[in-house]
This record gives sequence, structure tokens and C-alpha cells, in this order.
Amino acid sequence: MAGPDAVMNLPGKPFSFADLGALAVPAAVLACIAASAQWSWIAAFPQDWTLPIAGAINAALGWIIPAILPVTAALSRALAAILTALVLVLQFIPWPATAIALMMVGLRAGGPRLLGLCVVAVAYVVLAGFWRQSMATVALVLLAVPMSVLGGFVLGLGAYLVPRLRRPVEALFDFMQTFPAFAYLIPLLLLFGFGPVAGLVATAVYAIPPMARCVLSGLTQVPRELVEVGEMAGCTPAQRLFWVELPAARPMVMVGINQTTMAALSMVITASIIGGFDDIGWAVLSGLRQADLGKSLLSGLVIVVISIVVDRLTASLFAEPRGNATRRRLPAMRKVLAGAAIVLAAGALLRLAPGFPQGLNQMAGIIDFGLLNRALLGFVGRYSGVLDAIKSGVLYYLVLPLRLGLAGAVLPTTWGFAMTPAITSAYALLATALAARQLAKGGPGKAAATLCVAMLLYVGMVAFPWPAAILVTAWAAWRVSGPKLALLATASLAFVLISGLWVPFVKSLYLVGVSVVLCAFIGGLLGLLAAHNNWFSAMLRPLNDALQTMPQFVFLIPALMFFKVGEFAGLIAISLYAVVPAIRYTEAGLRNVSPAILETARQLGCTPTQSNLFVQIPLARPALLLGLNQTVMAAITMLPIAATVGTSELGQQIYISLGKADAGMGITAGIVFCLTAINLDRMLRAAAGHLRSI
Amino acid sequence: MRDFRSICLTAGLGLAALGGWNANVQAAPLGEGAAPIKIAINEWTGQNVTAHVAGHLLEKLGYHVQYVTAGSFPQWIGMEDGSLDMTPELWTNNLGDIYPKLLAEKKVEPVGDLGLNARDGWAYTSATLAVCPGLPDWKALLKPECAAALATAETLPNGRLVDYPADWDTASAKEIEDFKVPFTAVPAGSEGALVAELQSALAAKQPLLLRFWAPHWLLAQTKELNWVDMPPCNPKDGGRCILPSPVIKVVRAGFGEKWPAAYALMKQYQLAADDQQKMMFEIDQNHKPIDDVVGQWLEANSAKWSGWVEDAKK
Repeated sequence: MAGPDAVMNLPGKPFSFADLGALAVPAAVLACIAASAQWSWIAAFPQDWTLPIAGAINAALGWIIPAILPVTAALSRALAAILTALVLVLQFIPWPATAIALMMVGLRAGGPRLLGLCVVAVAYVVLAGFWRQSMATVALVLLAVPMSVLGGFVLGLGAYLVPRLRRPVEALFDFMQTFPAFAYLIPLLLLFGFGPVAGLVATAVYAIPPMARCVLSGLTQVPRELVEVGEMAGCTPAQRLFWVELPAARPMVMVGINQTTMAALSMVITASIIGGFDDIGWAVLSGLRQADLGKSLLSGLVIVVISIVVDRLTASLFAEPRGNATRRRLPAMRKVLAGAAIVLAAGALLRLAPGFPQGLNQMAGIIDFGLLNRALLGFVGRYSGVLDAIKSGVLYYLVLPLRLGLAGAVLPTTWGFAMTPAITSAYALLATALAARQLAKGGPGKAAATLCVAMLLYVGMVAFPWPAAILVTAWAAWRVSGPKLALLATASLAFVLISGLWVPFVKSLYLVGVSVVLCAFIGGLLGLLAAHNNWFSAMLRPLNDALQTMPQFVFLIPALMFFKVGEFAGLIAISLYAVVPAIRYTEAGLRNVSPAILETARQLGCTPTQSNLFVQIPLARPALLLGLNQTVMAAITMLPIAATVGTSELGQQIYISLGKADAGMGITAGIVFCLTAINLDRMLRAAAGHLRSI
Repeated sequence: MRDFRSICLTAGLGLAALGGWNANVQAAPLGEGAAPIKIAINEWTGQNVTAHVAGHLLEKLGYHVQYVTAGSFPQWIGMEDGSLDMTPELWTNNLGDIYPKLLAEKKVEPVGDLGLNARDGWAYTSATLAVCPGLPDWKALLKPECAAALATAETLPNGRLVDYPADWDTASAKEIEDFKVPFTAVPAGSEGALVAELQSALAAKQPLLLRFWAPHWLLAQTKELNWVDMPPCNPKDGGRCILPSPVIKVVRAGFGEKWPAAYALMKQYQLAADDQQKMMFEIDQNHKPIDDVVGQWLEANSAKWSGWVEDAKK
């Protein structure tokens, strides 16, 4: 569990009564471990104590769904009609017309660079043979984004106007962003029926929070003076809102629209699991099902390409116009948009003309999918020994010890020795000595954390008794934040226990833990290099962009081919996605350390390594911890997707429930996901806050 | 573009139907010929072949068909609410929970076996022979050397059997228990995972034991995968036995009344595994468009299907 690790970073405080209490924690944990051998209810939460939460949710849904079905069915029909029409129009216009219109807007908004990007993007989509499908995806996003923007705007504005709503709305956003989309596909299917509309709604819901967050933060950041000027000029509250505050918040609102669009694009694949829509998402999924990396990767790249174009295009369109350019820019933009519309209409008309090549939009791609697959298989065939060695290394020395504990994982065949009583006592002695040293230095919290971690490592996460887990987590939450967070953490764990999902939850946690350790190490190293080398940083940036916008499913295939079905492939897939924030925050944090301080360090005679280790990294700690936070969040997002390569944890529960259309089970597992993410987020943020206040 | 044209056609036919209602009486067995029959397209190529062959045959009868992509579980919601009219290839070993419920409520109707002589069982790569001599006889798996050679960190000391995804409700674990082979079943998570595992083992010439089925497009591509001769088992002992599962065709309730001729055709429709596998190979390996492949196959094999179409017209 990440809690104790975070605590260890806390500065030593004067010895107090509370600190003395801290030492009671490891004692209690030890007692639990000892007792678990005696009483089985301590070792494993008894089945009889769980409550049928999934059944209750299903019963509740059985009530709610028929009640609101008439409304959602009508809405579904309306949306389906609009979506079908939009897809029909977009797929009907010949691609050269769409391409020219896009280039006109691109040139106007971002000059020759953006024009070049548009040309490359269109060329790729056409050459890969995905024009038709990509237009379906674009239609879905075009329809989902206005819905999210409107919803997000209303929510953000509401939270601003009624400050009492702010906290619950923020909590709701946290929930919406961490709740695995897989888990709400089933209820959406029941409400909106089979077809793309359920996916559309899922996408729109997922993309609301970024908009709402940006609107809220934009409005709260409006300078006080500006608002006062408005008041002095005699504005009514409504006038002030519309003429002063909203215009001042415009840049943030625009960022929100941009972020919402990105979020919508990232949901496209998940939404297409339902089917009913021949779009890019379906192409990626069917490629995945055939283990056809070429097809998945090429179609996944289409989404990356669309995302990049949309990102740059919206960013340029909404960029703050400089000086008096505003007035000239808008009519010019309007002219370009009108011109683009004319091109599109002309293209459509031309298509109706006799002799027009009707198959233009369905041209098969000229890029060969098979080549990549053969290359991949060739690599696997050649280097399977090396790949297996890497896999066994990580499994034996990192994964198994965390899962089964040193007691279970240390075997003569792998580690060269067994955990004999002598070695066990040496281990215990070492841990106690370390703790004693920390105690002597005035860090009873650290000492207690060391002892807890040592015990956790010895018994392993799965066998760690649940009362001890609750105790340690609550104590850690109290230390970093306070009683409120401790209460939330305890309640969350209690929910996990009574829902009967404790074991999958612990397995998820340890999978997240291992991948975060891997990411922190590798990402930290890459970030460190990038912070010191501009060339390396420039090389890394497009790679990071691609890793983050590439549909997460695509990572699964190489992970599988290299490392076989099982936890390790899941681990690699999670790490590939979660390593990006680790790299980015490390680089940004290190680069933001003031040059003056580094110069001082140099003058004091620090070698570059010393200045790195003892000056730069400690100063960047808050940023590093936030990066860790983002890494943890990314790892949790990826868990349900990794379940498709054979991990046995919460994600698998959600996946199975999707297959069985058991909405209650999926939602229960989804809630556990959210609670895990929210608690870890709060703890890490609180820890980062402590560091910053030093 | 096909969609646009089919919409024009549908609209045209609709108008024709409104204008000359009597003219349509002649083609009575067709039923509501103007309404397109929506066929589910699932995630695997074999099913797509089955669906397109059915679609082409229905078009020969004079129907309009529409292919709708659908996840293999979400498709049942579509069959229930009318977004889909038929799913031509349902593997009965992997039914999930929704289909049996719909069947009990008489919302869907099975229209017979597809005739796909499916195979289901344990299989091994040729490289496995080196470590487990005696295969394909299942008794070769009893030897400890064999299990040790197939063991991984997760299954030690047992050997590893890569099993179907956990949500496919597989009987492998029970088989292992019944026949006391020293193996542990590790669920693959998804079909892609299973295929990727097999492909990488084939490429690296590594031993691998897994549960697999035929027809599968991979089998058209490799000769290196062999079937284990399974121990005899009592077919009455359903859940503990791996038997080839029937693959059936399912239509939505009311299909027969709406489109009588289509219903008659679907009842007769059969597709052999060999034929399906050959077409899959053309599509997946030679990257030919599915409509061309299916069209060519229908032309070359008219003896197989002309009878069904003639019967359906009566």
C-alpha cells in the first residue's frame, strides 16, 4: 500500500503523544499476523459477513431503468437519428473535399505548420484505408463534444454560483473520471438500447469533468479588481457574470473545450465494445481479437492522428488573439469557415454527378498490415530467451515477493536459499535495527512505517490480515491529512470488505504497486536524462504524446507476444501507459528548480552528481510526488483493460460482469475502483502538500 | 457508396409499396421485402464469412440486408430491441447469461445447426513433442518431465495449460481434476491473448499446451498445431467434459412471420468448417475484400446452395 511509503517522506517532528501512539500500530499489526494463524476470520474476511451489494444494485436498477426508460428511449431515438445523418453526410462527401476544407481552416488557424500537419494526417488516414471508419468516429466525437461542453459548462457554472455545491460536484467529477467505463456500459446498454448511442452517451459523460473543472477554475481565478470594477460600474450580478466574469474566464473555458475533446477521443474505443457502429474503435478491437498488431496499431494511429490535429486546431483557433488582431481575425475566420463549407457542399454535389468514382471513400489501404506482424513474430522467435529471462526476473524477485511475501516466494530454486528460522530472524533484526535508528533520530512515524512495510513484505499483500490493513491505512491517512481522510479510507476499505471483493482488490493494489514502482524507476530515469539533455527531451516528447493518446488496448498485443498470457503482460501494458506522467513530472520538476540555487551549489563545490542528488531532486520533491500521483491514477485507469490479458483482479471482475450483463457486479467493482483511486489521490496530494510547505 | 444507395433503394421500394400495394402480393413469401434484414457482425472473421454468405444468399432471394457490427454479448440487447434480426453463428459453449434468458422468454429463436463441424479441445505446438514424447495421447501429459517443461513461475510445480478466458465458462479445470494431470489452467483473458500466446510460441518454436477450437483462421495458416487425444469421458457428464459444441443460427422472434422466405432459407443454411476456413484465409492473409471472396465462393459452389434458394422461393 502506498500509504506508508508516503509517510516515510514526512519530516521528523518533535516527539509527541500521537507519535508514541504510532508505534502501537506495528505492534497491533504483528498481533494480527500472529492471530491470523489461530483465527481464520482474521486471515480472510468471512464469506457470511459480506452483504449482497451487487444484488441490491441490480434490484435498484430493476426499479430505476423501467421508470426512466421511456425518456431515455426517446432520447436514444433522437440521438441515433442525428448520428446516422451526420455519419451519412461525412461519409458521403468525397475525401478530397473534406481534406481541402480541413486544410483551409488549418492554414488560417495555424499557418503553414498546421497546414502541413493536416496534409500528413489526411494522407495517413487515406493511405491506411480507414477514411470511412474515421468519419464515423469523427461524427461520434462531433456529437458527443457539444453535449459534454454544455453539461460541463452548466455544472461548472452552477458550482461557481453556489459555493456549497463545489465540494460535492468535485467529488462527483472524481467519481466520473475514475469509474471504469467498462462498468457502466451495461446500464447504458439497458437504458439506451443496442447501438452507437450507448457508446455516445458513455463518451459524453466521460468527457464532462474536464470542461466543468476548467470553467470552475477559470471563474474562480478572475481577478478580484476586475469584478470590483464591474460592481462599481453598477452591474447587476447577472450582468457582471455575462459581461465581466465569463469573458475574463474565456481562456480557461477554451482549454476546457480542448481537454473535453481529447477526453472524448480517448473513450472512442471503449464505447465501440458495444458495436453497432463501424468505426475506428471497432477496427482496433477486431484487430486485437485476432492478435493482429498491424491492424490494431495502424487503426490506433488514426485516433492518435485525429487527436493531434483536433488538439492543435482547437488550440490555435482559441488562442488568445494578440493586440487588436481580434477584430480582423474573427471575420477572416468566418470567411474561411464559409469557404470550407462551400468546398464540402461542392464535393457532395460533385459526387452526385454521373461518372464520379463512387468507391473513393472506401479505397483499401496501401500500407501492409502483415509486415509488422511478421516483424514482431520474427523478433519474438529470435529473442524469446531474453524475454523469458526478463519476465522470470521480475516475477521471482518483484511480483511474487509482493504477492506471497518473502515467506512464500523465497525458494532455494529461485533465490538460492529458503526462509529458514535463522534467516527470518536476521530479517526481523535488520528491520528492527533500521526502525530503532529512525526512532533515535526522532522519527517515530518513520520507524513505525518501516516496521509495517517490513511485515507486509514478509507475509505478502494477499495474506496480509485485513484488520491490520485497515489499521495501517487509516493511520497513514491520519498522518498525512487528518481524521477526515482516515475516516474516508476506513469506510472505503469497509465497503470493499462487505462487498466481498477484498481479494481481487488486494491483487489489483499490488499490480498497481508493482507497476508504479517500475514506472517510477524507469520514468524517473528517463525524466532525469531529459531534464539534462534538450536533445533527448525533444526525442522523448512525441513518444510520450503517442503513448498517451494511443488507444490503451494497443499496448496489450506486444506485451502479450513478448511476455505471454498472465500478470506480467498486464504489468507491462499498465507500465507502458503509466510511465508517461512519471517521465513528464520528473522532467518538469527538475527543470523548474531555480538556476540560482544550482549555481550556488556549483560554487560550493558540488560535483554535478552531488548537485543532482542532494540539491535538485530534493527541491523537486513536491513535483515528483504529484507525478507519482498521476502515475498511480494512470495505472488504475489501465487495470480493467489489462484484465483482457489474463490478470485476475478487479478489472477481471468488471470484464466478466460485462460478459454476463451483470450490471450490479460491474458497478460494485467500479465503485471499489473509484474509492481506491480517490483515497490514494488524496493521500499522495496531502503528502505533496506537506513537502511543499517545508 | 453502399449505404446511400441502399437507403435510396429502400426509400424507392417503400414508395413503390405505398403506390402499388397490389403489385407486392405476388411476392408474398418474401414478406416485408422492403425492410432490410439486419445481420450481426461479431468480432471474428469466421463469423463475418458466415454472415456475408447468408447475406448474399438473402440478396439472391430479393431481400435487402444490412450488416451491423455487434459485440458478442451486447448483440443480445440488439436482438431484443430490434436493432438486429439474426446472428448466424452462435457457439453454444460460450453463451453467457443473456441468451438463455431471451430464449426462455421466447424473444429469440434458434433455427438449427450451422453444420460447422467444430472441434474443441486441448492442443499443443509441434515443439511440445520434444518435451512430452507420446503425444497426441493424453497420457503423455501425466509424466512429471512433461509438466515441468511446461511450467511457469505462476504455475510451479505444475505445468501450464492456457485456457479459454474466464468468462467463457470453460471445463478445463474440471478435466484436469478428473484426469489428475499435473497441470494448472491459466485463463487467457481474451481471444486475442490466446492467439497471441499461440503465435509467439509458434514463432519461437516453444512448447505450449492450450485449449483451442476449430475452425479458426490460425489453423489455415499453420500446420504446427496438433490436437491432444482426449481421455474418454461420459457425454452425460456435461460440465466436466470437453465436447465439440454445436454452432447454431439464431433469429429474432417474429422473423418467420416478417420474412417467410428468408426464414426458410436460414433454416436450411449450412456452412462447412473447411469452406469457412478457406475464405478466412483469403480475407485475413491475402487481404481480399470479404464481399469478393464470398461472391467467388458462391459462384464456384452453387451446387451447395441453389437448392436452399429454390426451396425458399416456393
